[in-house]
Amino acid sequence: MNRRLALKQLAMAAGGLALIPSCDFSEENILAAYDELQITESQQQLLQKLVDTIIPKTDLKGAVELGVHDFVLVMANDCMSDGEQKQFLTGLKGFDDYTKKSSGTRFTKMDNVEAEKTVNAILEGKPTSDDEMATHYFLQTTKKYTIQGYMNSEYVMTELMPFQLVPGPEFNGKKEIVPGEKVNING
Amino acid sequence: MANLNIKSKQENTYGAIVIGSGMSGGFAAKELCDKGVKTLVLERGRSVIHNKDYPTTNMMPWEFEHRGQMPEDIQRENPVVSRCYAFREDAAHFFVKDQEHPYIQEKPFDWIRGYQTGGKSLLWARQVQRWSDHDFEGPARDGFAVDWPIRYKDLAPWYSYVEKFVGVAGFHDGIPHLPDGEFLPGIELTAAEEYFKSVVEQKYPGRNVISGRCAHITGNAAYYAKQGRGICQHRTICQRGCPFGGYFSSNSASLPWAQRTGNLTLKNNAVVHSIIYDDAQQKATGVRVIDANTKEVTEYFAPIIFVNASALNTNLILLNSTSKRFPNGLGNDNGLMGKYVAFHNYRGGVSGEYDGLKAFTTEGKRPTSGYMPRFRNVDKQETNFLRGYAAGIHGSRSKDVNYSGTGADLVKNMMNPSYGPWRIGSHMMGETIPKESNYVALDTDKKDDWGMPQLKVNVDYDQNDLDMIQDYRDQLAEMFDEAGFKNIRTWDDERRPGLDIHEMGGVRMGHDPKTSLLNKHHQLHACPNVYVTDGACMTSTSTQNPSLTYMVFAARAVDHAMKNQG
Repeated sequence: MNRRLALKQLAMAAGGLALIPSCDFSEENILAAYDELQITESQQQLLQKLVDTIIPKTDLKGAVELGVHDFVLVMANDCMSDGEQKQFLTGLKGFDDYTKKSSGTRFTKMDNVEAEKTVNAILEGKPTSDDEMATHYFLQTTKKYTIQGYMNSEYVMTELMPFQLVPGPEFNGKKEIVPGEKVNING
Repeated sequence: MANLNIKSKQENTYGAIVIGSGMSGGFAAKELCDKGVKTLVLERGRSVIHNKDYPTTNMMPWEFEHRGQMPEDIQRENPVVSRCYAFREDAAHFFVKDQEHPYIQEKPFDWIRGYQTGGKSLLWARQVQRWSDHDFEGPARDGFAVDWPIRYKDLAPWYSYVEKFVGVAGFHDGIPHLPDGEFLPGIELTAAEEYFKSVVEQKYPGRNVISGRCAHITGNAAYYAKQGRGICQHRTICQRGCPFGGYFSSNSASLPWAQRTGNLTLKNNAVVHSIIYDDAQQKATGVRVIDANTKEVTEYFAPIIFVNASALNTNLILLNSTSKRFPNGLGNDNGLMGKYVAFHNYRGGVSGEYDGLKAFTTEGKRPTSGYMPRFRNVDKQETNFLRGYAAGIHGSRSKDVNYSGTGADLVKNMMNPSYGPWRIGSHMMGETIPKESNYVALDTDKKDDWGMPQLKVNVDYDQNDLDMIQDYRDQLAEMFDEAGFKNIRTWDDERRPGLDIHEMGGVRMGHDPKTSLLNKHHQLHACPNVYVTDGACMTSTSTQNPSLTYMVFAARAVDHAMKNQG
């Protein structure tokens, strides 16, 4: 409940900030909603762009529209061990510099096509240095939680892959598959 | 200790006291109340009322902040309960946290507990296979523990009686060592399980694969409507508490039933300190209770006392019930109380895949799975270890989702899953041999928050268990192989004792007061107005899940108490 309140206040603060044309972000606020992570608003925005790169809006709703970027941070904040969190944060905090070094452009300045290409290249790569390991881990876990948050969202579970809380007493242990019928992973 | 007066003694006197409101205590209470006995049920945990106190029961998957996963800090603070498969975001509130009620692990033991109205009956896996004489005659045949003072014929009518009330889905399988019962319509096996069954039953005479008998209402709706319960809706999120009462729990069935008789008084937050023994009357006269919140001590009185606090807590209460006559615990003349604790061995697992039956899948959910009754050492000793194991068997069609890539490709891939092979899995449920060296005892120094001595647990596996795990892995892998399953993998997860959540014994039944604590009616030999019908009374453990048998014990013992002391 504390986090919900904190997120709400954050949303209000962000709305408020938008009215101010220029702001000095050199001393950024630490986001109270994610007390373990101690991340800043710009780091949060980077993560949002990453989540949007992993599952963008297509003819279906995208991950950011469903608030999945918040879910990723909640999971990283609450469900990772200290060691995992450290890797994740190292990867997150160094991500812009890493992409600048490896492809010449900061991730936050990339257009969608370039961003996706960059993310795929890192995910498919074999990390060797500590930096690469942390970046790789950060991307992998962000992708994992993005997929989890998206596939378990109300939108996907009610409109795309219908889930039933009360399936009813019929159980068929040998249902014949109708070729071409959509497979529902919640079915 | 307590400031008693005559008035409070009158106010606090009942026809019977039941300690514990879980599976067996709830059933004992129902039986006593049905017979017109004013019954006090003492529950150490908080109140949980059916359908009022199931906070997560109607939550959708996306409404759980961590989609079910337990946050890291909670896992770190609760290493024991976190190892339990059901300690998840949706049911964590029904489990005791490690720090709340400490105990001493002289050997590693995961003690999984549920302190609330209904106890662990809200959380159980609802498998209700009967025992047979192969189980009750085991100790006498194989020379361990002591002979059970009862046989299947003593229980058979009570099994029927309890099953009818509980509601058991199952098929009449005609297996001599897993007797059939009073069944509602069974829940069918999956195509892969049916196939495995046909292979096993053809190639391995005497081995069977059946649908696990489970405590779910699948028919006779009008009868169960009288209990306020409805047909199981196959939600398979039973651990949250079922709004339909589709599966049996103390909360949905026995306690409300007892309540409706007008004879039930249920006291929550009532930590039982000890049973009061009166030297002059030479019997137990009541129970000393500490209020969990105020820590105030109150005494309650009754001519009959049922101890159903869950196996290890029943040991703790009885060991802590000392008097001039019983300095080592109530009824503990032979010093055996707390000893011969045993449990179930769930360490082994096997998995595989099947490439056949491609035209089929399953539809809907089911609250049970396939079950392979024990097939080792049933009629004669045929292995290097004593006793045997049952096996869970589950086969379901896998769904392949391609999560590779990112962007529009990833979305397209995820939205177009396909069917993969059938996945087959099994877990073992082995009988462990009760030994004197497996025991619980009271710590003389360390007390809990209510001044109760902490329980020391000394329980471990032995070579018999390790041999059994190996045999299970070999046998299941061989049968999977015979069935043409691929990618067969077997393992021993080396889990700690206790995680099976089937701890038993310590106050075992037997013929002889020199070698056992309870007689064939579940009375303490040396204090016959105290009955124990929970897991503590178990002389041996067999391979079947024990809850059904505890309820049968409770019903049968109440009948005896009424006929002989009522």
